[in-house]
Amino acid sequence: MAKKKTQRKAPSASNDKVKLSARDKRTIGELKGLADSVVAAATRKRDPYLDIPSRTLSNVRFNKSKRIIEMGRGTNRRQLFDLSQAKAYMRTMLVAKGCNQLILQGKNSSIRGLYYALKGKIKPTNEHTFDEQSDCDPMIEDLEVLINGLREELHLFAEKKGDMVGNVVLNDNGDEIDCSRMGSGGYGIPSIVEPEVIQFDRKKTTAKFVLHVEKGTVWQRFNEDKFWREHNCILTHGGGQPSRGVRRLLNRLHNELKLPIYCVLDNDPWGYYIYSVIKQGSINLAYESRRMAVPGAKFLGLRAGDFERCGLSDSVQIAMNDHDRKRARQIAKYPWFEHKKPWQKEIQKMLDNDFKLEVEALISRDISYVTETYVPERLASPKDWLD
Amino acid sequence: MARSQRDISVSEFFAKNRHLLGFDNPRKALLTTVKEAVDNSLDACEEAGIVPEIWVHIEHIKKDRYKVGIQDNGPGIVKKKIPLIFGKLLYGSKFHRLRMSRGQQGIGISAAGMYGMLTTGKPVKILSKTSVRKPAHYYEVQINTQTNHPDILKDIEIKPGESGRKQLEKHGIEWVNYYEPHEEGAKQGEVRSGTRVTIELEAKYQRGRGSVDEYLYQTAVANPHVTLHYIDAEDNETTYYRSTDELPHEPKEIKPHPYGVELGRLMTMMKASQEPTVSSFLTNSFSRVSPAIARKVCEKANLSTRSTLKKIGRDQADAMYHAIQETKISNPTTDCVVPIGEELILSGLYQVVPGEFYAAATRPPNVYRGNPFQIEVGLAYGADAPVQRITEELLKQLLEETDTRTLRQFLIHTFNGLGSESADKIIKAAEIGTRVSPGKLKPKDIKRLLDAMQNVNIAEGQTMNVLRYANRVPLQFKPTDCAITQSIMQTNWRSYGLTQSRGSLPNGPVTVMVHIASVWVPYTSESKEAVASYPQIQKELRLALQSVGRKLGMYLRKRLKVKQQGDRRNVFLRYLGEVAKAVSDINDADQSKLYDQLVEVAKRRTSDADVKLDKHGRPVDDEELELGENVLIVDPAEMEEELLSMVGAEVTEE
Repeated sequence: MAKKKTQRKAPSASNDKVKLSARDKRTIGELKGLADSVVAAATRKRDPYLDIPSRTLSNVRFNKSKRIIEMGRGTNRRQLFDLSQAKAYMRTMLVAKGCNQLILQGKNSSIRGLYYALKGKIKPTNEHTFDEQSDCDPMIEDLEVLINGLREELHLFAEKKGDMVGNVVLNDNGDEIDCSRMGSGGYGIPSIVEPEVIQFDRKKTTAKFVLHVEKGTVWQRFNEDKFWREHNCILTHGGGQPSRGVRRLLNRLHNELKLPIYCVLDNDPWGYYIYSVIKQGSINLAYESRRMAVPGAKFLGLRAGDFERCGLSDSVQIAMNDHDRKRARQIAKYPWFEHKKPWQKEIQKMLDNDFKLEVEALISRDISYVTETYVPERLASPKDWLD
Repeated sequence: MARSQRDISVSEFFAKNRHLLGFDNPRKALLTTVKEAVDNSLDACEEAGIVPEIWVHIEHIKKDRYKVGIQDNGPGIVKKKIPLIFGKLLYGSKFHRLRMSRGQQGIGISAAGMYGMLTTGKPVKILSKTSVRKPAHYYEVQINTQTNHPDILKDIEIKPGESGRKQLEKHGIEWVNYYEPHEEGAKQGEVRSGTRVTIELEAKYQRGRGSVDEYLYQTAVANPHVTLHYIDAEDNETTYYRSTDELPHEPKEIKPHPYGVELGRLMTMMKASQEPTVSSFLTNSFSRVSPAIARKVCEKANLSTRSTLKKIGRDQADAMYHAIQETKISNPTTDCVVPIGEELILSGLYQVVPGEFYAAATRPPNVYRGNPFQIEVGLAYGADAPVQRITEELLKQLLEETDTRTLRQFLIHTFNGLGSESADKIIKAAEIGTRVSPGKLKPKDIKRLLDAMQNVNIAEGQTMNVLRYANRVPLQFKPTDCAITQSIMQTNWRSYGLTQSRGSLPNGPVTVMVHIASVWVPYTSESKEAVASYPQIQKELRLALQSVGRKLGMYLRKRLKVKQQGDRRNVFLRYLGEVAKAVSDINDADQSKLYDQLVEVAKRRTSDADVKLDKHGRPVDDEELELGENVLIVDPAEMEEELLSMVGAEVTEE
């Protein structure tokens, strides 16, 4: 009880001090609209519902001219008085309430923080509003599409993921950061990299391109070998599937600084999909593609043919399982891959190989083979890149 | 060899084969004795048109010696017949007639007397009084097993009135003189007539399944017009009061039906008959044989209707027997069987078996082998198992009395309807070892056991409790041999919402009472413990069981639906509070008002949704739960109040 009281007091106490930005006002207006619709339905004795744009493959469209994935018009109706949806409805409203509070307080919260703030017992029972954070996260995404706003507009951010190093200088919340002087750790890419927070220093930035690698371990290799210094570039990684912060940053580097984005990822279905997400946007967050996708990104490697071309030993092969094969075929069918012959050939080649290759496999040749031979070779032959 | 060949007396035969009469062990002997005496008393009272009042007194004399006294307020027995009735096997009024009654052969009570004599050497004591004004007679009788004849040891005439009472006191003869006043301060009514029989026998008094207590309790269920006073071997007094003063209709005596008579019997009847011609023999000795039918039979048997009866030979009799089977003869009149009636079954069950749903069905009479019979079934659902009704004192006593070796056995054998699964559950909950001897439990353990018995949910593992009756007499033994139990097992109860494994009794908190009323109940043995399975009887049993089963099924489905509806509503209600709070946090709407509005929508939505479809996807109209007549639903929640109006029986809340 005590906790709830303080929660309720806080907004009114800080309300006067916090100055709401125009964006905040718009967001609050949207949230109010949601709440008002519930009241309106209840007064008319109708069941309240939410029409949530659906975030599934069936409701995304590949915009060929923009070369990004866009969300369709399909919606899913979430009703309060439907046994299977009642709880989800309640959770959506709880998330709306939580975000409303954050905005009024002028605070930002991690999505995990929000989960904790909203977690609680539903009074007469022992049932929890949320059992795990994974119950809460999709609700946040639902709310984003519902009010057509972004996560940062809801004053939420995710844990930061991914690092950057290289010849770029930027201003992060007032601090000047020179990414060429970040030591071995690099600059951690924050979850929110909007222009309000991060501005690039065009004059001091000399990098000619961005090299994005899949994981921290590979990134470490490149950083240690000072690859970015030699090739005058920016080096990033996303820790697997890149978070929105990383993707937004790549998008801004590409659009604002006109830097080409090159990807070096594992040769497996997941690597392909990471590239796909960077290039066209993700299915789940199709509504954010316009801000995040980099249609001009290029896929440098690893290629299915690299096993023979680089003369790697058999021991680095990772056998494919049924799940991998299924996923590979699924990816091949995506509209944005379907009509690209080189990609179809690439995926087929991997299926024929029947094994996967990680970037680390190149280490079997030499510890610095990937930085000193492989990537420079790939960079030198643009006609071999996959688009 | 030839010298040692000689007559065997019935008494001698039964003295050696006492198990045939239900005296296999001391415990059962006690029950059989009480049962035979009570059955006789009830028959006597009903025949005489007296509302029965019965006193049963079991007295513990010493170790395995008990004295059983049973008195009724019946018409009494004429002096001459007293010794014969109690001191001669196969002497009775019921064997030679076809009339629905509890006793049939005339073996029971004299056999009990014989058993008493054999085990204790004591005679049977009888006091019988036919009128207030006439003297009563006191006899002490012993059966002579070799001749099957009574030996009279004592014969005292008791004068009527006050002097007689003094005489009784002097001789130490037990007799209940006055009825217990029904109201405080009411004048004591004198017991104007009646019979008291006292038998001393070797026995064992034990409660639980197959006990005297159980027999009397079941008798009370099926005989709502009887008041029973019972003092058990531990001097506890129990009284079952009658719930109606109306005697069941007097069953009519009927002549045998031609279909039910075998060739030998037919010939005996022909020999004994005084009728001059075949035609008059047929029309006068059998029921449902008109002169026209007699002529048809004769034609088929190639006999003249006017042939002299005495001249009919074996071959002709055989032809006649076959002719009878081939001739279409209508079924015997069925007013000779008197059912308990659906209403009384409902009220009887309701008073004794607690539950939430009751249904009863009385089938129309049918005929097996020319004997009319009628099947009735009553069903109670939602009853607590006997295990859960037990008191601490009773449990202690039961534990002391039992002869089972392990606690598990004790639970299974003492309590009806408790399966091994449930017994294990109880023992586990009580945290007592399975193999512990029931006599060695410490008081603390007993307390835990009692707690577990009352609280462990055994509704699922509980098997159906079956009460079997034949002519209102409870059948307590050999359930698996009995057509009634077999029919219950063969019925598919799964379609009525109960669980049942193949070929066994269904599970669930269900009590089923089955009554077969007949002029001649076909028992599988002389100890009258199980009903034989004739196809007609099985068919009627099946139909009756299905009839109550269907009603139960409808009720359970409805209940499930109501429950689902309730569950749905609960799900919504649970979340509405959170939703209302979240909304009011955002837009400052009135939280409680919004909540109330949402609750209203939820209520409307859930009732709507449930009317729409049942589980088969068919539209359902709630009002159309037509359970028909003779269903009783006791529901604390007034949810189904409308159904109560359909109840046929008049039941008063205690």
